[in-house]
Amino acid sequence: MTRIRDRMAERGRDVADWLEERTRLVSFMEKQLYEPTPRRGMWLYTLGSATLFLITIQFLTGILLLFYYVPTTKDAWNSIYYIMHHVYFGQLIRGMHFWGANLLLIVIGLHMIRTFLSGSYKPPREMNWVVGVALIILVSLLAFTGYALRWDQEGFYAWEVGMKIASYTPLIGAWAVSLLLGGDTVGPATLSRLFVFHVWLMPAILAPLIGVHLILLRLHGEFGAAFEYSERLAKLNKRKQYERMEEYFASDEEEEESSRGE
Amino acid sequence: MPEELQKDPLTRGQFLYMGAVGTMMGLALTVPPAFFIMDPALKATIFNRSDIPHVWREIGSIFEVPSGEATAFRVTFPQKQTYDSGGPNSRVGSLTETALASWHDGKIPDLVKKRSEGATFSKSEVRTLEKNINVMSNACTHMGCPVRWDSVHHQIVCPCHGGIYTINGMHVGGPPPHGLWRYVFRIREDGIIEVRHKWVQGTPWIV
Repeated sequence: MTRIRDRMAERGRDVADWLEERTRLVSFMEKQLYEPTPRRGMWLYTLGSATLFLITIQFLTGILLLFYYVPTTKDAWNSIYYIMHHVYFGQLIRGMHFWGANLLLIVIGLHMIRTFLSGSYKPPREMNWVVGVALIILVSLLAFTGYALRWDQEGFYAWEVGMKIASYTPLIGAWAVSLLLGGDTVGPATLSRLFVFHVWLMPAILAPLIGVHLILLRLHGEFGAAFEYSERLAKLNKRKQYERMEEYFASDEEEEESSRGE
Repeated sequence: MPEELQKDPLTRGQFLYMGAVGTMMGLALTVPPAFFIMDPALKATIFNRSDIPHVWREIGSIFEVPSGEATAFRVTFPQKQTYDSGGPNSRVGSLTETALASWHDGKIPDLVKKRSEGATFSKSEVRTLEKNINVMSNACTHMGCPVRWDSVHHQIVCPCHGGIYTINGMHVGGPPPHGLWRYVFRIREDGIIEVRHKWVQGTPWIV
């Protein structure tokens, strides 16, 4: 048994070495997958990874849904009904996309709260905070446009309310609405535009921004990780030491002055 | 030697030429896609073109409008948007809206009380009727939610954010910025109300 296990482990190492030699994949994965995090609130630091996982699920299930979804006012709702009732695992795939979107909004919100409360937006990580805010806005817009793609009463009126909000934009309100509606009324062009925003435009912006978010994370690491704490503690101890020395010398001088006065 | 160093390898003419070519290329790359995307916005806001042709549509008879309440009528307009106004095989789309009709202050005019369905009205009577009836959109002027008649409180209410309107469509409470949008309408001599996809107060965009 032990011999078989050893042989398997050896084979595994051989495959990893072969891959490493040719693609540097193993060292790349090691570098990308491992990141030191602070011991305090350790699990909360996995919320970012959870967000990435859920976004990946959204991308994958979204691609699958595209095999059946028809973005026309006549067929949109029917195509979703077809997915839900006639396609193998249709309920599962659509359910994952729907509930994944809801969960994603919660997890991304928690991730943002954790980032804020742990002070991870402070220098030198300000840019990552800005990119993160852009990402949360994009995800919210994706959720909103996806809601309307169902073209049912709920989604339709949600989009209508969204349009009404856009119409209150000073100076460009009318432009913004007609641009989003694809005309001056809600119609087939509206759904086409929603589809473009949800399926192409916003994911195309989202994907590279996620890359930037990850690169910046790797560049600066997690805020408050053990090494950072030790560095800060060392600086704090040094400062306290200086302060004590200053106090000591100051009290010495005072004593000297008082003895001269006598 | 210093003169040689000061001499720019790029002449003024070359610089201007490059600027002009760069501008032309930039415009060629950005203007067509921008106009392509903004096409409906340009047509709607600058050229005032609508997806709904200028047609009158029947919503119902004045005899169907009761005393003391607002009634909903469904109205369907032909709509030509994107592929609906495309090639020879394209179909004409449609847009269905709901109009609310009520008598002014809920009081039926005497000339209606005296008659019944099938009666005809003279032109002066039609003008009187038009002054006494409200034909409004059921879209709340706040966020566009469909409003409805509340028979308990005798007012038009919005279920979304609590907008309240009188039977005449005037705003009395809640967040809406003004009263309900009023359709451009006419009453035929046989008492049928007809509306256009146009509003007295301007363009609401979402109704």
